[in-house]
Amino acid sequence: MKIIKPALAGTLESSDAQVSVEPSTDGLEVSIESSVMNQYGRQIKATVMETLGRLDVTSGRITVIDKGALDGTLKARVECAVMRSESTSEAGIPWGGAIR
Amino acid sequence: MTDLVVSTIYPSDRRGMRRVEALLGSEGIRLDRNLDYTCAIIDDDGAMIATGSCFANTLRCLAVDGSHRGEGLLNSIVTHLMEVQSARGNTRVFVYTKEEASPMFVDLGFHEVVRAPGSVVFLENRRDGFASYLRRLETRRIQGRAVSAIVMNANPFSLGHRYLVEQAARASDVVHLFVVSEESSIFPFDVRRRLIAEGTADLPNVVLQDTDSYMVSSATFPSYFQRDEEAAIRGQALLDLTVFTEIARRLGITRRFVGDEKASFVTRLYNETMASLLPTKGIACVQLRRLEVGGRVVSASTIRQAIHDRDEELLRSLVPETTLRLLTSPDAEPIRRAIAASTDLAHY
Repeated sequence: MKIIKPALAGTLESSDAQVSVEPSTDGLEVSIESSVMNQYGRQIKATVMETLGRLDVTSGRITVIDKGALDGTLKARVECAVMRSESTSEAGIPWGGAIR
Repeated sequence: MTDLVVSTIYPSDRRGMRRVEALLGSEGIRLDRNLDYTCAIIDDDGAMIATGSCFANTLRCLAVDGSHRGEGLLNSIVTHLMEVQSARGNTRVFVYTKEEASPMFVDLGFHEVVRAPGSVVFLENRRDGFASYLRRLETRRIQGRAVSAIVMNANPFSLGHRYLVEQAARASDVVHLFVVSEESSIFPFDVRRRLIAEGTADLPNVVLQDTDSYMVSSATFPSYFQRDEEAAIRGQALLDLTVFTEIARRLGITRRFVGDEKASFVTRLYNETMASLLPTKGIACVQLRRLEVGGRVVSASTIRQAIHDRDEELLRSLVPETTLRLLTSPDAEPIRRAIAASTDLAHY
């Protein structure tokens, strides 16, 4: 699935993350910034990539500004941004699966 | 921890806006005249402890009360304003701030574009925004000994613009002609760009370039499009020109051509700032006398007035054939209507 519409989810508060998704001309571009990059950068990247993979996102510019979010929070923010971009309605939320 | 809510302050809320102004003032920041959204955080005692505003795709006038530092209030304000920007469909957002506050914005996902003299830092929310714009420009870099630049809005392209380009082209090996990409003028960008392209097609050493959001845009230079005070205009002109010096460095530009300005207040201040800043960066500033037709300087304001008054004879004397063809074609009907409806055609 390609990101066509920009969308934003999450906040810049401590223990949260702000995720924005936009269309990209260059496949999947993921940019991550984190206040705990040195400690958890790899784990954050793995979580973001895994979530995008599960949602079947193949193209888009994804920006994550992490303020020390736990994995679950990060996952939820990425999912929310992608679903907002897709205008997924309540009935269509693919709990745990890819967006169709 | 108490829950602090970010609330919108409407322009009609005079008392609220006065409190915003007072909070900014206590942090040494001036309330901009051109804002289109303002919010604030009020604490339990009713005191305003943080504020922030937007204009177009920029965040401005952000301040946190000195006794509430380190509480993450700026994070809440920026989160709120980014949601406002997102709702407007703006994914590229700019901010300028004092040097000492810039690290806080870097922590909130912003990246430095340039630092202007007077310690103002201009940031954007893209990691590689300005860098990729420069790379795009560089693909059209042409080697030459005398490389010049012109920046024009051309609203619309006139014989005066043509004269300036011609003079620059004659005196240079290459002329980079930057067309203001911002959509804030009566003539849309694609029309302005097309008229410039058609009007300079016979000059092979003229290369058209876009300014993206980086020159004479609502991000760098909002007072070009909206009235403001002299100090604000000068500050923004300085920032805008600092961006230009970066671009010039990458393209090997050593001269910038401008028409002298008597009518427009804002352009005159811009030219003054240019004449004092550019030479210190190794760029010569060449100011040409404006082209006159029948004893009057050719200006885009006069042309818009002529369209407004349906004075085709005057129009014919001011614009090249290519522009006239568009202006008299059916395609230009929406533009003619916009000009007919407008009462403020001169650039202030």
